[in-house]
Amino acid sequence: MRRILHGISYVLYILWAIITGSATVVGHLFRVGRPYAHPMIVEVPLRCRTDLEVTLFASSITITPGTLVTAIAAGTATTPPVFFVHCLFEDSEEDALAGLYDMESRLLAMTRGRAPQSSASDVAEVEAAWVDPGPHNPSAEEERRGR
Amino acid sequence: MSDTVATVLVGIFGITGSLLMLASALAMFRVKDALSRINVFSPATGLGMPLIVVAAYIHTLHTEGFRVMTLFIAIIAILCLIIVSSVASNTLSRASVLSGQPIYRKTSPNRLAQPPEGIEDPAP
Repeated sequence: MRRILHGISYVLYILWAIITGSATVVGHLFRVGRPYAHPMIVEVPLRCRTDLEVTLFASSITITPGTLVTAIAAGTATTPPVFFVHCLFEDSEEDALAGLYDMESRLLAMTRGRAPQSSASDVAEVEAAWVDPGPHNPSAEEERRGR
Repeated sequence: MSDTVATVLVGIFGITGSLLMLASALAMFRVKDALSRINVFSPATGLGMPLIVVAAYIHTLHTEGFRVMTLFIAIIAILCLIIVSSVASNTLSRASVLSGQPIYRKTSPNRLAQPPEGIEDPAP
């Protein structure tokens, strides 16, 4: 039940992100004399674990105007899966990461029923919290999700 | 639904959608590399085209009356536009990176090319 509520709020959040992102893309057209955008490619280690979460998160990032997934690195024994996200209108790398992690928290709240406890906000924390799920270990996966 | 309301709604949604397509096209001229062009294209596919579909649906609703099938088609069209354009943008961007398209030199930081400070990149 809570997952349905989280899901509805996530869909509304994505729609709102699409609208505000489009407004940013259009609004920056009218800034004369300044560069149109500050492109950057940031590295985002993920808290998403399953393929579904990673796919949903990648699609959500890409559908938001101004952010685009350019590359996905699979997780290994020591590192979590990583997105490389192309951002156009963020002021700094920290801002971009904060926005993306906010979206990821909402997504995980939808798929897992509650937001992840580690409110990770930077790269080092996510990498430190990484526990290798192992290739074929569904029970550990269930346990870590707290169900 | 009166004629005026229908016309105004169709106008609002249709013109807003068209203007978003135009703005996306203009934005594609303002940015410099393939990745940014794919990036600024998403207002057109994520918001502009669904708005045009909404306008077309309202027009059909006004002229032909309510039918479940038309509503179903409109909802499917909007969902597919959003989902398919997102997946397509992902594919396009990965293709452009993997095929070695140049990335604009002022892209900073470019984590595909340089590691964060304080981290040594092991030799490949």
